Amino acid sequence: MRRSGLGGLALTSPWVATFALFWVFPVLYSLYIGCTDYRLLVQGYEWVGLDNYRQLLNDPDFTGALKNTFIFVLGTIPITTVVALVMALLVNRRFKGRTIFRSAFFIPSITSMVVVALIFTSLYERGGYIALLAELVGLTPPQHGFLFDSSTALYSIMAMDIWMSVGYYMLIFVAGLKAIPDELYEAAEISGASTVRQFFSITLPLLRPVALFVIVINSIKSFQVFVEIFVMTKGSFDTSTAVYFVYEEGLTTAFRIGYASAAAYLLFATIALFSVCQFLLMRRRMTTW
Amino acid sequence: MRLTMLILIVAILLSSQAILAKDTIEWWQFWTDPAIKPTMESMVEEFEQANPDIDVKLTDLTWANGHEKIAIAFASGSGPDVVELGSDWIAQFAANGHLADLSSEIAADSNDFDGWGMATYQGAVYGQPWILGTRVLYVNLDLAERAGHGTNYLPADWIKLLRRTRDIHLLGDDIYGWGSNTPEKHRLYKKFLPFVWSNRADVFTSEDEGNYCVISSRHVIEAMSFYKLLHDSCGYVGSQRNIEDAFLDGKIGYIISGDWLLKRIKLEKRDINFTTLLIPGSGTDGKVTAGKSFLGGEFLAVNSASDNPEAAKKLVDFITQPKNQVRFCKANHSANPSSRAAQEDEYFVSDPNLQTFIVQLRYAVHPPVDPNWVYIEEEIEKAVEAFVFGTTSAATALYNASVNINKIREK
Repeated sequence: MRRSGLGGLALTSPWVATFALFWVFPVLYSLYIGCTDYRLLVQGYEWVGLDNYRQLLNDPDFTGALKNTFIFVLGTIPITTVVALVMALLVNRRFKGRTIFRSAFFIPSITSMVVVALIFTSLYERGGYIALLAELVGLTPPQHGFLFDSSTALYSIMAMDIWMSVGYYMLIFVAGLKAIPDELYEAAEISGASTVRQFFSITLPLLRPVALFVIVINSIKSFQVFVEIFVMTKGSFDTSTAVYFVYEEGLTTAFRIGYASAAAYLLFATIALFSVCQFLLMRRRMTTW
Repeated sequence: MRLTMLILIVAILLSSQAILAKDTIEWWQFWTDPAIKPTMESMVEEFEQANPDIDVKLTDLTWANGHEKIAIAFASGSGPDVVELGSDWIAQFAANGHLADLSSEIAADSNDFDGWGMATYQGAVYGQPWILGTRVLYVNLDLAERAGHGTNYLPADWIKLLRRTRDIHLLGDDIYGWGSNTPEKHRLYKKFLPFVWSNRADVFTSEDEGNYCVISSRHVIEAMSFYKLLHDSCGYVGSQRNIEDAFLDGKIGYIISGDWLLKRIKLEKRDINFTTLLIPGSGTDGKVTAGKSFLGGEFLAVNSASDNPEAAKKLVDFITQPKNQVRFCKANHSANPSSRAAQEDEYFVSDPNLQTFIVQLRYAVHPPVDPNWVYIEEEIEKAVEAFVFGTTSAATALYNASVNINKIREK
């Protein structure tokens, strides 16, 4: 038994070593660095304790970026989840061309974010297709384009993100729907339950773990929004987000690695707190059903 | 027989030692465009032929992440011997001791090159000017003619610039007088500061006058107000790329751009009737004076920790020679060699547009050489964004910038 334990350790050691070196060590080291004034180009650094964290909470650039991140998360998650669920319910029905619809909805998720962001940058331009569509329905598009106006830039990026994500989450919901036994629906039909009643009494409660998974995964992804901002606005027009702030502070301008690490940990704490709240909320609801 | 074998072995050993004794220096640079890469490689080959004891290892960087790679390499002690640096990076690397002081080496060259100011930090020179870059005014002559402006009727001061751009703006729905930049980080200040400099103002006073931040002075407010006037009254607002695209499509009358646009027009064979003009002066003091443009550029610097500093300096000296600068500019369609001898080459003299760039170089200003400049420029850009794209007044936006810049400098 002991020998097999050692054998197992030997077999897993390459992975354990890689994990320790490239995951555990950077995570712990960045926690330590976050309490120093380490700048990449400056020789040596000093321990500053929680100064970076205090400074961050009073830094309008960071608090602004965090506010934008929350707007992004709270704005995209409910819409993405509801639209993905509706689409999953639709494509889960039997009809001709169902596979084509499933594939079409899923394609944006496997397209490179950079490519999608570049296409949408063009669509959002002054005189672009989205401006033309807005004019067609009687709306006045921003004078210089959707991404060049503080009142529309962030929301435009959020809309693109929703368009891109729903297909992926739709597929997860479809998998969840497949796992619900048909007998439950048959029994409900025999009992005379309407389709709406079946949805609220069978589908939704049994999809709850899948919905929790979708919401948590989507929240983590949304808190880390970066590529869209980098490609489309570079943080201009009030679109900077927490991860973009970390990138700017740590990897551009003055290479303030210590400050950026502290910002990354604040973001980590925020995501952790948010996820725990989601779990607690969803669990409580699940137990009440 | 034995003696012959012995001689042979000794000869082989000696020759291999000679090979081993070669100095290898690493040069990191950003020119990866297929149009210029062969020229870069052939210059390196020529250098190696002229210096058989030196091998050069050429490494390409990209503008997307080159700055990060250089910073990480210097921080980890694995920086290259020679590195190409943008003008606004020199202070940052020099202040942290990563660049070799070249002051004694360049003393003899100081009158032969332009751009030393950008490479000088606290009295010492840390880079050899290579290819400089300034911006000029591009005019769509067809639109100017449609608006009733002849070639002798082009703007020489702000009021005339405003009138000309407005005239063009009135030509039609999809025609704009002026190309106005969106708040792109690290770019907007390059567009705004020339207006400040052209109005006889600056970000800081000179060292002799105490080096105070004067970004909220009356002249800067005046410059920013004029900048907004152009933007509001006839501006096509977009990223630099958007503006250049629209200009090439014949939609904009006047834009400010660099020599890369000349390159684009040539390479893409664009059919546009245009000319280039010097940046107009403000004329707010009633005098017609040349306006000031932005000055930046590429520099070659030597790593302070290089094992082969002499070989590295030789390479820098070779690459920046006038004949090599002309070769480079011809291959890359660049307009601003740092070498004054190169600037007088027939290639530049015979082309009126290249001449505009050469003359504008005499009226070009570079931002202060300060390791915190990246933060200072951000404050200036925030002020421009708040006033031009927001609702804050010019005086308030610039006052806020001034307060924040002073805080940055106090740190």
